[in-house]
Amino acid sequence: MDLHRNRKFVYLGLFGIIAIVYLIQIFKLQLLNNQYEQKAINNALNKIPIYPDRSIIYDRNGKLLVHNIAIYDLIVFPGKAKNIDTAAFCTIMNITGEEYHKFMNIARENSKKRQKNNVFNGSAIFMSNLSKDQYSAIQENLYRFPGFSVEPKTDRLYAVKGGAHMLGYLGEASKKLLAKDPYYRPGDLVGITGIEHTYESYIRGVKGVKTVWQDRTYTERGEAKDNEFNSPAQAGPDFYSSIDFELQEFGESLLANKRGSVVAIEPSSGEILALINKPDYDPNLLVGDARARSFRQLLIDPKKPLYNRAIKGVYPPGSTFKTVMALIGCQEGVLKQSTLHGCSGGYHLGSLTVGCHPHAAPTDLKGSIGISCNAYYCQVFRDIIDNPKYPNVKSGYAVLEKHLRSFGLGGKLGVDLPGENKGNVPSIKQLDRRHGKSWKSSMIISLAIGQGEILLTPMQMANCAAIIANKGWFITPHLVKGIGVNKYLPDDFKKRHYTTVGELYYDWVIDGMELVTKPGGTAFGTGINDMVICAKTGTAQNPHGQDHSLYIAFAPREKPKIAIAVIVENGGYGATWAAPIANLMIENYLNRGKSPARPDMLERIKTSAVQ
Amino acid sequence: MNRFYSNKEDNPALDTISVWLYIVLVFIGLISIYSATSEVNQTFEFSFSSLAGRQLIWIGGAIIIIFTIAFANVAIIDYFAYGFYGFAILLNIAVLFLGKEVSGAKSWFGFGGFGIQPSEFAKVATALAIAKYLGTYGVRFKGTRNVAITLALFLVPMLLILIQNDTGSALVFLSFFLVLYREGLSGWILLSAVWLMLIAIARIVMEATGVSHLWTMGILLFMASLIIYFGKKNKQLIIATLFVTVVSAVFSVAVGFAYTKILKGYQRDRIELVLNLKQDTRNMGYNLEQSRIAIGAGQFLGRGYLKGTQTKMGFVPEQHTDFIFCTIGEEWGFVGALVFFGLYFGLLFRLINLAERQSTAFGRVLGYGVVCILFFHVAINIGMTIGIVPVIGIPLPFISFGGSSLWAFTLLLFLFLKVDEKRR
Repeated sequence: MDLHRNRKFVYLGLFGIIAIVYLIQIFKLQLLNNQYEQKAINNALNKIPIYPDRSIIYDRNGKLLVHNIAIYDLIVFPGKAKNIDTAAFCTIMNITGEEYHKFMNIARENSKKRQKNNVFNGSAIFMSNLSKDQYSAIQENLYRFPGFSVEPKTDRLYAVKGGAHMLGYLGEASKKLLAKDPYYRPGDLVGITGIEHTYESYIRGVKGVKTVWQDRTYTERGEAKDNEFNSPAQAGPDFYSSIDFELQEFGESLLANKRGSVVAIEPSSGEILALINKPDYDPNLLVGDARARSFRQLLIDPKKPLYNRAIKGVYPPGSTFKTVMALIGCQEGVLKQSTLHGCSGGYHLGSLTVGCHPHAAPTDLKGSIGISCNAYYCQVFRDIIDNPKYPNVKSGYAVLEKHLRSFGLGGKLGVDLPGENKGNVPSIKQLDRRHGKSWKSSMIISLAIGQGEILLTPMQMANCAAIIANKGWFITPHLVKGIGVNKYLPDDFKKRHYTTVGELYYDWVIDGMELVTKPGGTAFGTGINDMVICAKTGTAQNPHGQDHSLYIAFAPREKPKIAIAVIVENGGYGATWAAPIANLMIENYLNRGKSPARPDMLERIKTSAVQ
Repeated sequence: MNRFYSNKEDNPALDTISVWLYIVLVFIGLISIYSATSEVNQTFEFSFSSLAGRQLIWIGGAIIIIFTIAFANVAIIDYFAYGFYGFAILLNIAVLFLGKEVSGAKSWFGFGGFGIQPSEFAKVATALAIAKYLGTYGVRFKGTRNVAITLALFLVPMLLILIQNDTGSALVFLSFFLVLYREGLSGWILLSAVWLMLIAIARIVMEATGVSHLWTMGILLFMASLIIYFGKKNKQLIIATLFVTVVSAVFSVAVGFAYTKILKGYQRDRIELVLNLKQDTRNMGYNLEQSRIAIGAGQFLGRGYLKGTQTKMGFVPEQHTDFIFCTIGEEWGFVGALVFFGLYFGLLFRLINLAERQSTAFGRVLGYGVVCILFFHVAINIGMTIGIVPVIGIPLPFISFGGSSLWAFTLLLFLFLKVDEKRR
């Protein structure tokens, strides 16, 4: 009757085979590797970086200098940006079709890199720092462009117009930095110079991550709370700079319409009170969507407003260098307080003449500084390096060089700013090249008065003033006073560096510096009434035209609060520009709140131009 | 015979194992639909207007169907088999004129907010009609007339559904060939079908990769000459081999023609994607890839109930209907899939046993009808989600969202269980 009863087993076999084949396939999908799990996570989770606020920067008195503002980036996930109406997009964003493709190609490249690292979801910046118009236009139309989103991040907002070179500016992370540090994404803003650069790792804070669910249409479907990738953003800690911004601004107003630099240091701590360069720029130019354009303009500006003379510019120190030379002479035992040297309108040796201005002669050490006698220091210089103590001139010079280097000259001081120049203390090799192997002291005699191969940055000059104020030591000048609630200060900025000159000799030299602003001194008439200012003028010949006007000073004599160096390029005599500027700044700092004692001089300096 | 209660000596109530498996599967379906259509991290929320809520209403309807069948007189089933079939045919004709179009197929009757798909009920009616016909005294699946009538009984509704442009549902009727095997359909015919399918696949692969027909001919002739050479004494074998070779060659050319000239672009895409002839993770392939990702993401233990992002976030298409297995795979992992297969194939094996214990051809054919229809659906549906069968839009019985399919499969299963209950 039922002939096909056995066929039941064909069904059982067929079903069994299908079930096993399917289970094997499911096994392959689920258990062979976790690539599908990863893909599922990449599909549905979008990790959005949360940009922290950068540190708020204050001056030493708690005055707000720099804070933050929210800006927006247009982000694209190239793989998701399909069927984009480019024409409409370009109209909305006010860009050309070419730009669109350029941006998209860059984003695609960056996206690929990021997917390789498996760090984020492969989204990349399409355009950063949207203008207000672009932001509001795209925000309304985002739904039309799948794969695009807008992410906030922070940019700088400056509470002040000055201090550009010490504050520094932000810029987009360079390719090099991106390759080096995976913390950064293309388009991230990083400190390029100034405090912003040196303390970037503190100031930037810590980026957070917000993971959100997103569906097939890339629409956000709520935050993925409790996700392992989530972390809050941590704002950069409050940054207290050593700058006294009132002094900084005052100095900037004095240096207006001139070319030059001022560096003021608190000698006891090495804290930089003012760092001024002219020409400079308004830091507010280098923020937001105008950043790139402004930067290009500043870069090609023949006045070089981006140039940080204070640490990069090198100048012959001129007569200001006599203070250091005197100190070394004393230490070497070739100079005493009472040592007298004559001057007959200059220093004469055979056919060699180093000119000097007319003054009463002979002078002692004190008087030689007060009146800035060239002949006196030519003699001191020769005494130092031709000292019979040493077998020959080169070994004498080597001793001088060693002393000079202990003042932080001829090498980087280690200031907390990028790009510091070493200046130049000529080595014996360098002198050999310049003057032949068998040079004599007479051939390099201009070094005695801070001319010739010797070159200092304004920072180094100010540091010399601080060394004299401290009578023999310095702390590396720095712009940081303290970071965060604990006022963290790097150890480098707590350490005293001692010079090779004994403390006693500093008093001898300071005696002379006290005379400079007094009757008969080279800067007489630029002083602040009866205020004691220990100073030294300088008038440096240079290959760029008129002499540079130089001045180093500190005050008060006991427990000095401020040491300063001023250089006004092509300003002529040190007493003409540099001395009044420095003295006015010292007054501003020490007599704060009192009305200026020399309103006439203040007005003259502020309103005059030196070109 | 007008009894409401089962007699212990006679037969027990509806088969307990099958009923329990049914309940468990429907429950799995309900919670999977809930999960597939919920938001991530959503606290439990329920409303009858949600998809899971509507499925619950359909389940309520299914329970009414079950009780109606349980308390009905089994004779009615037998009596009304042809009437039901005729009614189903009429509905499937009517839908061509009165139906509304849903995603390209005109196979739905709309009633306000919900719709009925007559093709789902045509499966039930056809199973009943074939069972009735082959159960008729003196009729067996033999002789031209009987065979012709039997084939017509399922090829007619199949044709109607093809006209509705619902290819997936139409293909389901091929499962009746499988039923007929049990009733004496020659295994050679099924093997020939498999052979032709292999040729079709081979030709499609060649067509897609640009291999000329000459190659097919060459390979066929080579195979034929081998067979003839090793069995040269046997005249019958030679004739049979030549016949098969010619038919195969003609079929191959026909397939090539149909593939390039008749099939629509998207249909070709679906086939090529499954045959791995095309790497496309964006359009058609995107769906397949997302479906594979969903299941693959499940790993061993699954991502956890309600935690499958692939399905809820819409990466998997039709996540609550045709691709519902993705939710199971993603959220319950390999363990879940194993349990699910155990339950489903357990039900199929159980039903085979029930079918075998029928004393009437009517009961047996109906039983195999149920088994083969369910099997066809499961094999195609799950095969599609794991990427070994082209995308063919048919639901996973008892699991997928949808009233028509749930009711139709419930009807199908319980009609047979009722027949089984009253078997003599």
